[in-house]
Amino acid sequence: MTAATPELVTPLPTIAREPFRPLATLAHRRLQLSARTPRELVVPLLTPILFALVIAPALKQALHTSAAYEAFVATGTIGLLIPLNTMFAGISVLVDRESGAQRELLAAPIPRALLVLANLIVAFAITALQIAVLLAVARARGIHFDVTTTSLLWFLAAGSIFTIGMYGAAETLAARVPRTEEYIGRVPAIAIVPWFLAGSLFPINALPSFLTWFARLLPLTHTLALVRYGLLNDPSSLHNIWRMHNTTTMAALSLLVVVAFAALLTTAGIRAFSRTAVR
Amino acid sequence: MELAIEVNELAKTYPGDVQAVKAISFSVNAGEVFGLLGPNGAGKSTTVGMLTTTILPSSGSAQLIGYDVVRQARETRSVSSVVFQEPVVDRSLSGRRNLEIHARLWRVEPTEAKARMDELAHTLGLTDLLERPLSTYSGGQQRRLEIARALISRPRVLFLDEPTVGLDPRIRAELLDVIAGLRDRTSTTILLTTHYLDEAERLCDRLAIIHEGTIVALDSPAALRADLGEKIVELRVRDNAQRTLELLRERGLAGEDAFSVGATITLPLHERRAPETITAIEEAGVRSAAITTREPTLDDVYLRLTGGQLSAAA
Repeated sequence: MTAATPELVTPLPTIAREPFRPLATLAHRRLQLSARTPRELVVPLLTPILFALVIAPALKQALHTSAAYEAFVATGTIGLLIPLNTMFAGISVLVDRESGAQRELLAAPIPRALLVLANLIVAFAITALQIAVLLAVARARGIHFDVTTTSLLWFLAAGSIFTIGMYGAAETLAARVPRTEEYIGRVPAIAIVPWFLAGSLFPINALPSFLTWFARLLPLTHTLALVRYGLLNDPSSLHNIWRMHNTTTMAALSLLVVVAFAALLTTAGIRAFSRTAVR
Repeated sequence: MELAIEVNELAKTYPGDVQAVKAISFSVNAGEVFGLLGPNGAGKSTTVGMLTTTILPSSGSAQLIGYDVVRQARETRSVSSVVFQEPVVDRSLSGRRNLEIHARLWRVEPTEAKARMDELAHTLGLTDLLERPLSTYSGGQQRRLEIARALISRPRVLFLDEPTVGLDPRIRAELLDVIAGLRDRTSTTILLTTHYLDEAERLCDRLAIIHEGTIVALDSPAALRADLGEKIVELRVRDNAQRTLELLRERGLAGEDAFSVGATITLPLHERRAPETITAIEEAGVRSAAITTREPTLDDVYLRLTGGQLSAAA
C-alpha cells in the first residue's frame, strides 16, 4: 500500500472561514419546506387566536371581570403559541430523518450543529410572525397594550429566548424518539400542561400553594411574567414569583431563568442531534 | 498508483456486542470502481457509513484522499458524495433546488454550479424534469437525480450504496447504463456496494466479497473467477451431497475448491476435461438428478468462500 500523494489532496481553504453561507442555505431550505407545509404555519396559531378572540371575552363576560382580564389572557396565549409552534417545528426534524434529505445533509462538509441552528432560525422567524399576528388580532379586538421602549425590550428578550429554549426541547425530543407518532404523543405534556400551571389564565398564587411553588420553577411562568410586564406594564406576575419590590431586579432574575433554560436546552438539542447523526 | 481510499483494520461493534465489521483492510486506487459485494447484513453499509463519517469506527483507521475519516471528518466529506440505498431527497422541492442545495453546501460557485447542473441534467436525461417537484418523479428519475446531485460537487470519491435496490428491472438496467457511463466519462473513484453479482461484474474493476463483517476475497471479477478455472461441473445429487463430495475427493475427481450447497455439488475442473470427469463420476456410482458443465460465475466464487447463496441471502 502507498500513502496518498500530496497533490491528490484537495485544499479546503473555505471550510472554516465561512460558516454563515451554509447556514443561510440550510435556513432557506427549511423555510421553503415549511412554506410548502401549511400546517406548520397555520395550526399552531389556531388555538391561541381562539383563546384571544373567543375564550378570553367569554371568560370576561361569564366571570364579570374587567377588560384587564382579557388582556391578561391574550398575553397569556403567547405562552401557548411559542411551545406549540416550536414543538410542531420539531416534527420537521423527524420528517427529514424518516423521509427527507437529512442523511444527505449529514454527508455535507459543514458543522452538523448548523442543521439545528438553521431549523431554529426558521422556527424562530415563524413564531415571531405568529406572535405578531396574535397581537395584531388582539389589538383589533380592542385589547389595550401599554408598551414603552424599555418594556418592549423585556418582552422581546423573554419571548425570543424562551422560543430558542423551546426549540431546543423540540430538537432533543425529536432526537430521542424514533417515530413521529411518539413525538406527537408527547407534545401535549410539554407544550400544553405547563401552560395551565404557568399563570396563563389566572395568577399563579390562585393555585394551591404547592403548585404555586412548582409554577415558580417553570421557565414559562417567568416568560409570561416578563411578557405581561413588557406588553401591559403589569409587574404583578413578577411579584407573584419573586415577592420583591424592585421590578427591574425581578425582571432581570426572571430573564436569567429563561436564559439558563434556553442555554441548557439548546445545548441538549445540539448534542442529542449530533449523537443521533453519528452512530 | 495513487490511493483514493485506504482502510486499515477498520471495525465497528454496535451496542449489544454486535460486530458488524471485523477489522477489514483494503485500498482503492484513484479512478477505480471498487465493489463491496455481500448479502444484506454483511457489513457493507456500515463500512460506507464509516467512510462517509456517519458511523464512528470502533477501531482501525481509514483515509479518503489522505484525510482521516475520524479526525478530519469535514475534510473527508468535502471530497466525497453519497448516493444512498433509499431515496434521500427533499420531495417537495424541485429537482433543481435539490441540486442547488448540494452545490452550495459543497461550496461550488453559483455560476459553476449552474453550468454543471445543466451538463449533468443533459447527460442523465433530466433536463425536462428539473423544475418539477421530486414528488412527481418516478423511482428511476429520482435515482438519476440523486446521482446528478452527488456529482455536482465533482467528488474525488463517490459512494453508491446499493443504488439499484428496489428498482424494477427496466429502471435498474437503465441505471446500470448511467453508472457504467460515469465510469467511462469521469475520473472519480467509485465505491459501489451491491448484492447483485451481475452488477458487480459489469461495473467493478475490483471487488471485495464481504461476509459477516469480514472480507473473504478481494480481486478483479475475472481473477476471482479464474481461481475456479475455465470450466466447472455442477451436479445435483440424490444422496447426501457432503458425503458424495468426500467420495469424489477420495477418487481424485474433486479438489479442495469443490463445494456443496444443499443438494448441489460444484466441481472446478482446472486441468481435467469435462467428458472424462462426468464419465468418472457416473462410474463412481454417484446418483445424480442433473449434471451440467458451464463457466464459473461470481456466484460460484461467493458460494465457495461463504457456503451461502448470495442472492437468496440478499
